[in-house]
Amino acid sequence: MTSQRASVPAQLDHILHEMSEVRVTPKGERRVRVDLAADRLPTLLQLLKGHGGFLHLSSISCVDWPETDEFELVYHVWSYESKMLISAHTLIAKSPGRFVSVYDIHAPAGFYERDIHEMYGVHFEGSPNLNKFILTSWHGPPPMLKSFDTRAYVDETYAWRDYNPQWLKDIAAKGGGIEE
Amino acid sequence: MSENAGSRNPLQLRDQPETCRTADAEERSAWQRVIGRFADNCRARSLFVLHYCTGCGAIELPPTITSRFDMERVGVSPMVTPRQADILLITGYVALKTLKRVILSYEQMQAPKYVIGFGSCTINGGMYWNSYATIKQLDQYIPTDLFIAGCMPRPEAVQEVFLELMRMIDAGKANAWRDYYRNYDHYLANQQALFGPQWHTPTDIVAEAKHYGLMGPGTTGPHTRLLDQHAEWALDRIPEDYPERGENERSER
Repeated sequence: MTSQRASVPAQLDHILHEMSEVRVTPKGERRVRVDLAADRLPTLLQLLKGHGGFLHLSSISCVDWPETDEFELVYHVWSYESKMLISAHTLIAKSPGRFVSVYDIHAPAGFYERDIHEMYGVHFEGSPNLNKFILTSWHGPPPMLKSFDTRAYVDETYAWRDYNPQWLKDIAAKGGGIEE
Repeated sequence: MSENAGSRNPLQLRDQPETCRTADAEERSAWQRVIGRFADNCRARSLFVLHYCTGCGAIELPPTITSRFDMERVGVSPMVTPRQADILLITGYVALKTLKRVILSYEQMQAPKYVIGFGSCTINGGMYWNSYATIKQLDQYIPTDLFIAGCMPRPEAVQEVFLELMRMIDAGKANAWRDYYRNYDHYLANQQALFGPQWHTPTDIVAEAKHYGLMGPGTTGPHTRLLDQHAEWALDRIPEDYPERGENERSER
């Protein structure tokens, strides 16, 4: 627990107090960042939903950290009562890249998890449907991974149109032109 | 249909000799030129643009259509269905999934049909040049008559390209749609390279090309043969009790 706990509203403080090893960082008047271990995340969401009125899972976002070989999952939950957004950050290992689904707590999580599974390859156990979502024509690796070289893929898949008009040649002859 | 229906004029009375002379090929082509010239002239003055908005460029169409620039005063009007439209205006980037729909819409349109690529994205990818999910050159997949450069092109540029298309139609030069029939194998090859060898559309382009006499050396090829294979494969998998499997089976019941 950090010293900044003081500025967290009392109601929220009461809930977060029930959990140990949770780092709470107020980011603004109505924004709180929570960092916690992956295995505690479902408990936190359940507590926030049950006791804090954080009924709305507005998004799950994912960050690929290539240096540490980790995925950072961020669960944004919103309370209509206290009008506050909590972002719960947790880190999971990129290999095997598995995490538990929170579909049983927040039903819309099914779509976010399906999206993250498609874009990052994270497997959510217990998620109702992890089929293709947006990229129905896609057969390559998860495209949002930092290891996926978009430029190389585009060079390989699509052809570039040759465009080399005289005016561009004239500029190049004077030492100008397009820089790669 | 009876067997000799093709060789006989059905309107002709049965026991009377043929009184109409048949026009020779040269005369017919001269007539066709006159009628075609007239038809092109009319065609250029009544164009319907399919209201299919792919990317952000669609935002330039409301001012083009409505009173500020008013493209209807030159005879160009929006249309909501592909079958009644003349122009397919691709307004901006085309994602892979959008391209499938664009091809389906284009093939449903009735000839003569014209495609205008709007904005840099359709020319060489534009600002999505390094995106894995958007195509770079529209004219690899469907034949394109004209491109409008810019990001965004202003309504003045859109109107200018409509006027240029009208000039081209009037002069009989807007014939990119014929290229789709004559070189269908080339376009299909590029489509299959993206969507896989199973890619097929409900429209039978080769049969249409045969029907309209637009078969060219590039109409059929290794890629259209894949379509035939797919059709055979699909036919084999129609269940025996499917009601429309054969006319004979149905009449027996």
